[in-house]
Amino acid sequence: MKASTIFTVIALVGLVGLVPTASYSAHDDVPDPAQIARGAKAWAEQCGRCHNIRSPSELTDEEWLVSTTHMRVRGNIPGNVIRDIQAFLRSSNKKE
Amino acid sequence: MTHKRKLFSAVCLIVFVAAMAALPTHSAWSQEPTNKQLLERIEALEAELRQLRDLLLANKETAEQAKERAEAAETKALEATKTAQAVKSKSSYPSIPDTIWHLAGYATAGAEFRTKADEWEFGGLQFNPGFHFQYKDLVIFEAELEIEVEEDGETEFELEYSHFDILLHDYATLVVGKYLSPVGQFQERLHPSWINKLSNAPAGFHHDGAQPASEVGVQLRGGVPIGERSTLTYVFAIGNGPRMGHEGNPEFEGFGGDDNKNKAFGGRIAILPVPYLEIGGSFWKGKLEGIEGPGDLLPTSAFAKVWGVDAAFTRNAFDMRFEYLKNTRGPINSFDEDHGEVEMLEKLSLEAWYAQIAYRLPQLGNASFTEKLEPVFRYGEFRVEGSHHLEEQAHRRYNIGLNYWMAPSAVARVGLEIRRFFEEEIANETLIQLQVAYGF
Repeated sequence: MKASTIFTVIALVGLVGLVPTASYSAHDDVPDPAQIARGAKAWAEQCGRCHNIRSPSELTDEEWLVSTTHMRVRGNIPGNVIRDIQAFLRSSNKKE
Repeated sequence: MTHKRKLFSAVCLIVFVAAMAALPTHSAWSQEPTNKQLLERIEALEAELRQLRDLLLANKETAEQAKERAEAAETKALEATKTAQAVKSKSSYPSIPDTIWHLAGYATAGAEFRTKADEWEFGGLQFNPGFHFQYKDLVIFEAELEIEVEEDGETEFELEYSHFDILLHDYATLVVGKYLSPVGQFQERLHPSWINKLSNAPAGFHHDGAQPASEVGVQLRGGVPIGERSTLTYVFAIGNGPRMGHEGNPEFEGFGGDDNKNKAFGGRIAILPVPYLEIGGSFWKGKLEGIEGPGDLLPTSAFAKVWGVDAAFTRNAFDMRFEYLKNTRGPINSFDEDHGEVEMLEKLSLEAWYAQIAYRLPQLGNASFTEKLEPVFRYGEFRVEGSHHLEEQAHRRYNIGLNYWMAPSAVARVGLEIRRFFEEEIANETLIQLQVAYGF
């Protein structure tokens, strides 16, 4: 297959992917209880697909945000599911 | 007149006089009012009524005003409470800067006894630092080094992967750089020592096996939810492609250049009907150029193709996996080290598969440490046709291991590995493996 054809296909699919959807909000939003509940469930289900489930207290909020974004790519996890997981992790680690 | 009669008469007289004195002078029934008096009285009553009505209206307005003031005060109080809660909530969540990063990775150390060497050796020293840098929710750069101590004491550095992930939207990410091969599950997701259930890779799933290692190019990948519980995942990728190895096998090692102006392409599609069950299929195809060298023949080219299927069931204490890969290369003229010249190499077929089950033990009685134990069994085969050198490596492999999880990402393990080679002249081998691995 010609490289130009492949690149064109990839570019077209990528452009379709640029259709705006709900943007990430973990950086500045306070998670709501429903999102936290969904995140707790997704946390257990998604992480266990490859490895043991780690404790939320192992990393800081910042580290979890980066780590979960890495896992979003590596594990092909939808962005909205990752946001739920991030909400759960932030909630688990928040100061009372 | 008797005395009693006089007394009775006197009492009656007194009662009568008293009764008459008690009667009002102008009783209602004793004297009818005049019309004028009635009119005056009505006017007085009407005046009194107006005063009462005015007073009532005044009181009503005051009550409504008070009610409004109370409602306004309540609204302000609620707003203040919400603001206070938001401030408190915000203060409970540390603010996140635009640029964030994380130093991740894993490390491994161990010892191994091989029956062929008939001695214990410390080794398996590996340090794989991983760097993740993220800007907002737009892009993340990630890279991993593999630093390994070789048998001769040399330290080997290798860039395992290094790529930008541009988050297009919830279901698509564009990956640019050197990435781990998306073919199958093991190489991309399971090979880190703290994730792998055993000390080493399954037969044929390492370098010089059927499993492509890495590639330099671009990927479009993501996961798309289907209904409430299902997800479709995809990876479409292109890259510079494989190159011929000196043993006649295609090498998929993430070359930083393209030697034949022909890009390799492929990817993987998987379906998760439920989150704990994943079934995937992979494909990869690239063109190879024969290695130049002395001799009458000129190098030619051929295609290398890889396809495979994989499945994983990960629920509760069970972790069960299966993976199959077939890697073929067409006939090609290429330099052969054994003969020292360019030769026509026949078609090469590399086939590898494994099935693995791990079970995390429950707590037995009061012995809580049993929850940290995980027995593992794996069976795999690596079959080769078309290369004498590689055929010597073909074998079936039995692994029995026991993991002790000190923490979710820290494990100490012991394993027994039995290798039965398909070539009769190759002696079978048994290994005892000890390993400590930590992911961070």
